[in-house]
Amino acid sequence: MTTADPQTRSAYKVVGTSPAHHDFVDKVKGSLHYAADWQLPGMLHGRIVRSPLPSARITGIDVTAARALPGVAAVLTAADVPSNQIVERASGGLAELEVTMPVLAADRVRYMGEPVAVVAAATPQIAHEAAELVVVDYEELPGVFDVTSARADGAPRVHDVGNTLVSWQIHCGDVAGALAAADVVVEGEYRSQHVEHAYLEPEAGVGWLENGVLTLRVSTQVIEHAAMIAHILGLPQSKVRVIAAYMGGGFGGKEDMTVEAYLALLVWHTRRPVRMIWDRQESLVASTKRHPFIMRYRTGADRDGTITAQQVEILGDAGAYPNLSPRVLFAAAACACGPYRVPNASITSTAVFTNNVPASAFRGFGAMQIVLGYESQLDELAARLGLSRTELRERNFLVKGDLLPTGERLDTCVEVAQTMHRALALLGEPPRPSGPGKLTGRGIGCNRHPYGRTIWFRDRASAWLSLQADGTLLIRSGVTDLGAGQAASLCQIAAEVLGAPLDDISIYIGDSALNPPAGGTFATRQLYMSGNAVLHAAQELRDRMAPVAADLLGASADDLEFADGRVRAETGEVSITLAELAAACDKRAISTAHLSTWRAEAGSFDPRTGQGDTFPDYTYGTHAADVEVDVETGQVTVLRYAACHDVGRAINPMRVQGQIQGGAMQGLGYALTEDMAIEDGYVQAALFANYLIPNAQDFPDVLVDIVESGEGKGPLGARGIGEPPIGNVAATIASAIQDAIGVRPDRLPMTPERILALLDERRQT
Amino acid sequence: MNKRQITLTVNGRDHEVWVAPSDTLLDVLHDELGLADVRYGCGEGVCGTCTVLLDGEPVNGCLTLAVQAAGHQVTTLRGLMGPGEAMHPLQECFLRRGASQCGFCTPGMILTSLDLVRRSVGQGQGRPSRDEIRYALVGNLCRCTGYTKILDAVEEYADMAAES
Amino acid sequence: MVAPAFEYVAAGSYDEAVRLLAENGDEAKILAGGQSLMPMLNLRLAHPDLLIDINPADQRPPTLENEMLRLPALTRHRVLLEHDLVRQHCPLLAEAVRHVGNVRVRNRGTIAGSLAHADPTSEIGCCALATGARILARGPDGERTVPASDLFAGYWSTTLDPAQIITDVLIPAARSRQGWSFQEMVRRTSDFAIVAVAVIFNLAERSGAPASATVALAGVADRVVLADSELVDDDPEQTAARIADTLDPPDDVHASGAYRRRLVRVLTARALREASARAAL
Repeated sequence: MTTADPQTRSAYKVVGTSPAHHDFVDKVKGSLHYAADWQLPGMLHGRIVRSPLPSARITGIDVTAARALPGVAAVLTAADVPSNQIVERASGGLAELEVTMPVLAADRVRYMGEPVAVVAAATPQIAHEAAELVVVDYEELPGVFDVTSARADGAPRVHDVGNTLVSWQIHCGDVAGALAAADVVVEGEYRSQHVEHAYLEPEAGVGWLENGVLTLRVSTQVIEHAAMIAHILGLPQSKVRVIAAYMGGGFGGKEDMTVEAYLALLVWHTRRPVRMIWDRQESLVASTKRHPFIMRYRTGADRDGTITAQQVEILGDAGAYPNLSPRVLFAAAACACGPYRVPNASITSTAVFTNNVPASAFRGFGAMQIVLGYESQLDELAARLGLSRTELRERNFLVKGDLLPTGERLDTCVEVAQTMHRALALLGEPPRPSGPGKLTGRGIGCNRHPYGRTIWFRDRASAWLSLQADGTLLIRSGVTDLGAGQAASLCQIAAEVLGAPLDDISIYIGDSALNPPAGGTFATRQLYMSGNAVLHAAQELRDRMAPVAADLLGASADDLEFADGRVRAETGEVSITLAELAAACDKRAISTAHLSTWRAEAGSFDPRTGQGDTFPDYTYGTHAADVEVDVETGQVTVLRYAACHDVGRAINPMRVQGQIQGGAMQGLGYALTEDMAIEDGYVQAALFANYLIPNAQDFPDVLVDIVESGEGKGPLGARGIGEPPIGNVAATIASAIQDAIGVRPDRLPMTPERILALLDERRQT
Repeated sequence: MNKRQITLTVNGRDHEVWVAPSDTLLDVLHDELGLADVRYGCGEGVCGTCTVLLDGEPVNGCLTLAVQAAGHQVTTLRGLMGPGEAMHPLQECFLRRGASQCGFCTPGMILTSLDLVRRSVGQGQGRPSRDEIRYALVGNLCRCTGYTKILDAVEEYADMAAES
Repeated sequence: MVAPAFEYVAAGSYDEAVRLLAENGDEAKILAGGQSLMPMLNLRLAHPDLLIDINPADQRPPTLENEMLRLPALTRHRVLLEHDLVRQHCPLLAEAVRHVGNVRVRNRGTIAGSLAHADPTSEIGCCALATGARILARGPDGERTVPASDLFAGYWSTTLDPAQIITDVLIPAARSRQGWSFQEMVRRTSDFAIVAVAVIFNLAERSGAPASATVALAGVADRVVLADSELVDDDPEQTAARIADTLDPPDDVHASGAYRRRLVRVLTARALREASARAAL
C-alpha cells in the first residue's frame, strides 16, 4: 500500500501544490548531465597523490619517473602552486586561530589522505600509474587523534599556533547559583562519531580554458569559491569562472572546495581540459566529515520540572585543518539548549585540531549533533522526577517572545508542542514484542534547528527575471542545486506571482560568470534567501508591468490576477496573454527584466559575552519511534518512525515530505549503523561495502506530518526544511531504546554490541 | 596491451568501439559512448548507480568487462523510452511520486524495479509486494529520498502492470 | 579507481581453461561471475596479466542424480535462489543465498566463484560445510574430489592447486527426517555476515530420535568453520556454548571477537532448535 500523497490545502495556485518539473524530468529520463558527464576534445584525466600517513614530515618528493611515463602531461607539487594557501576565517574573524591549509602539502602532512601531488594524463589508466610512480619520502611524526589528548599539556601540535582552533562562550544568568539551588541536577556525557556524507555522486568536475578564462564545471554547492581559486593561481577574479552542475547529492560535503583547486592547477599548467573524478574509496578516506562531538551537560531543574540551568561543554574534533569548524561549533553552542526556555545558561563550544581527517559542513552542522545532548538530558530529568517525557517538555518549551541564552527574543511562533503531538499521533498504538527475548519501546526527540546564515555575515541573494517577448519567463540565479529542488522551487514561486505556466519557465543557475550571486547552498538558506529574492523580483516586476496591463484591460492595477499565462481583471471577462503584456511594455519602453537583491536582517554578536544575534529563525520539529530490541543479540529494529516539522509554508508539499523522509533516513544511519572509524589517524572503513548507509530494507517508511504556521521568514512564510529533519533521529532512537531496556545509550552509533553491553550492565545492577 | 574492436548492442543499436581488455562496460558506455545514465558510484558493486540490463538482467556495469558484453543486449534507462522521448510508465510513476531528488540513483532504481515487476508479473506471481520490492532494491543505495517515494512509485507501476 | 591493465581470453571449455592456466601460471586468474574478482581489480589489490573468462565453458543447469544435487561451477546465485531442484533438495542453500549480495551480484556470481574466493564470512562456504558438499576440480593432472571440510585453508585461500578449476559442486540431497536452519547476524541487510550459522539436523530414520547435527559457522575465524561433531549433543544451549568456547574470532570494524563469540552461542542455539523442529515435521 503506497503512502498518501500530500494534500493540497493551499490558498495559492502553484505554491502549495506538488508539480514535478524542470530538473526532475531530466532525472527520471536519465538525461541530466552531472559534473562527470562532460567531455572536451583533448581532455586529460587528473588524479591526486595523497599521504598514506596521518602525521609526517615530507623529506623529499621525486616526480621524475611519473613525469617520464608516456601520456603524462603534468605532475605538480607544492612548488607549482602560485599561492599555496587556503585561509577560511570561517567565524568571520571573530575569534579563531588563523591557520593556513595548503592546496598541496609542502613540508608536512597532517592527515591520512592529505594531497601531496597531482597528475594529469591522457587516460585514467595512465593517471593511476603515474600517481603510483610519484615517490614521496616521509618521516613519521607523533600525532594526536582525539580531542582530549590534543588538549593535554605537551600534546604534539597539529599546527604550531596550537591545537585549540576556537572556543565559543555563551553565558546568561547565574548558572553556578542556579545549579546549587536546583532541586535536581542531571549530569550526562554523550559522544558521537565521524560520519561521511556518502552522496551517490562522488566528487567530480571538468576544467578548461575558454578565451583566457579558467572555467570549472564541478559538482559544488558554492560557486563563490571562484575568488579563492583566482587567489591560488594568482589570477584576477574576472579570469575564473565556476559553473555548478546539478549535484548528485551534497549534504555539505561539497560546500568546501573538493576538486576545484586541483583541476584549476592542472588546466592552468597544461592549457588543456582536465577531468577529475574521485574514487569512492578516496572520498571515504579524505573528504571532509561530520565533527564527532563530546557533549557534557549539567541540567538543573525544580521539582515540578521547570529547567533552571544548563551548563554545557562541547568539544568537536576539527581534524587537521579549520575549514568550517568555527561555524559548526558556533551553531552547536547557539542551539545547545534546544527548544526549551533556559534562564541560566553557560555554554562553551570548542573546536580542536587533531591529525584526523578534517571535519566541516554536514547537514545539521553542529546544531544536529547537539540534539542528542539536550534531549537525553530532558528524558533523564523526566525519569528522575517521575514526569512523562511529553509533560516535562511541554512545561519547558519556548514560546514566541521568549529569550534565548544569547539574549535574542524569538519573533516567530514556536509550534514544537504541536509537532510533538502530531508525531506521536502518527505512531498510533504501541506495538507488542514479536516474541520472547524481545523488548519494545517508544521514544521522542524534539529539536530547534536554525535556517539562514549566521546573522553577522549579512547575507544576501540576487535573482534576475525576464519576461520574454513570447510570454515565457527566464530566471537567472547563482543558486546551486543539490537535488532538493533548489532551482525548481524558484520556478514555482515565480509561477505563482507572475502566472507563467511552469513549462514556460526556464531557469539558469550556478554560474559565477552569468548569474547574479545567490550565495552557496548550505545553512538551509536557499529557500529563505533566493526564494525571497525571486519572490521580490517577481513582485517588483509585476508591479512595474501592472499599470500597463491595467491600461490595456481598462481596470485598476490593484484588481489584476496573473494566472495560467494570462493577466485578467478580477472583475470582467477580458484578459491578455503575458506575450501581449510584454509587447505592450516594450512599446512603452518599460523593461520586462528585473534584478532584485534580497538582504537578510543584519546583526552583531559579541564573542566575549556570548550575547547578540545568531540566526534569523528556527525550524521546530519532533520525531517519534517504536523500536524492538533483541535482548540476546542487542539488535535494534525500528518498527515505526514518524516525523513532524513546522515548515511555515510548504512551497511544494511533495518535496517537503521528501526532505523530511530523506533527512530522517540519514539520521537513522547516523544513529544506528554509520561509523567512519578512525584509529590512530588511519581510516578503518575505506570500502563503500563497509560504510553502512541505510538501504531499502533496513528501516520502515518515515511517516510525515507537516505544520504550516505561516510565520517563517522565507517566502510566503516558509521556514527551511533541508537540515532540521536529520537532527531529531539519534535522540529519538536513544529515547526509544531507553524505554525498551531501561538504560539509555550515550554513544553513537548505537550498535548491537553496545546495546548488549548496556543490557549486561542493567542485569548486573 | 592491445585494444580490440567489438560491437556493443546498446538500447537496440550497434556500436563499433575500440576497447582495452580491462575496460569495464561502465567505462565504455559512459566515456566512449557518452551515455550519462550509467554512472560510476563505487567500483565495488554495492551502490547500483552503474546498473545496466544485460540480456534483460540487472548487472553491475563496473564489474563487467566491455568485451564480455559483446554479442549481448545492453539496455540502459534511456533504452526504456519511446519515440520522441516518451517516458516508460515506470518513469512517469517516479516523476509523479517525487521518487527522484538528486537523481543519481534513479536509472539503477528504475532498471532494477522494472526487472522485478516484469519477472513477477511475467511468471504469473502477480505484482510484487512492498517488502519484495524492498528486497530487490537492497543493492540500489539512495542517500536523498529515504526510499519511501521510490517504493510508492514502483508499487503504483506494479499495480498497473499486473492489471494489464 | 581503474583496474590495472590485463589481457583477456575466453575459454570455451574447462579443458581449455586448464590449459590456459597451466600456460600462464601465477599471472592468470579465472573470471567466472566477477563479483569478487572485479572489485579487487578495480581497487588495484591484484595485478593479473591475464583473465581467463570461463563463462562460455558451461551452460548446464542443476541436476539431481543418485540423491546428489549436482551444481555446475557456473551456477549463478540467482539460480540457487530460484531453481526448484535447489529449493527442494537443498533448502538450506536456497535460504542462505538470499543473504548474498544483491540482485546484480546474484545474477552473475557463481557457486564455484564463491567457494574459490573463500571469504571467511561466506554464506555459501558455510552451507558447503554443513551439507558435506564435495567439490570437483580439474587440473592438468586430471580430476580431483575435495570434501568441503578440506577445501578452506585460511583468509581467501583454498587447498586447491592454482592450476585447478572447480567444475562441479555435489551436495547430498536433503533426506527425510532431516531439518535445516540458517541464522545470520548482519549490521545491515545484505551485508557481509558478522556471524552466520548453518545447521543440518538428522533424526534417526526409524526411531525419530535426534541422531546427529552438523554445525558450520562463518565470520568466526580466518575461514568458514565446521564444528567438531564431538561437541554436538541434543541440548542446543550446551552445544552452542561448547562450540563458542572453541573459537577465538577476530576483531574488526564491524564487531569485536568477544561479541562474535556471544553471537555464536545465540545463533547456534537458535539454529539447532529451528533445524530440529523442521526435522520433526
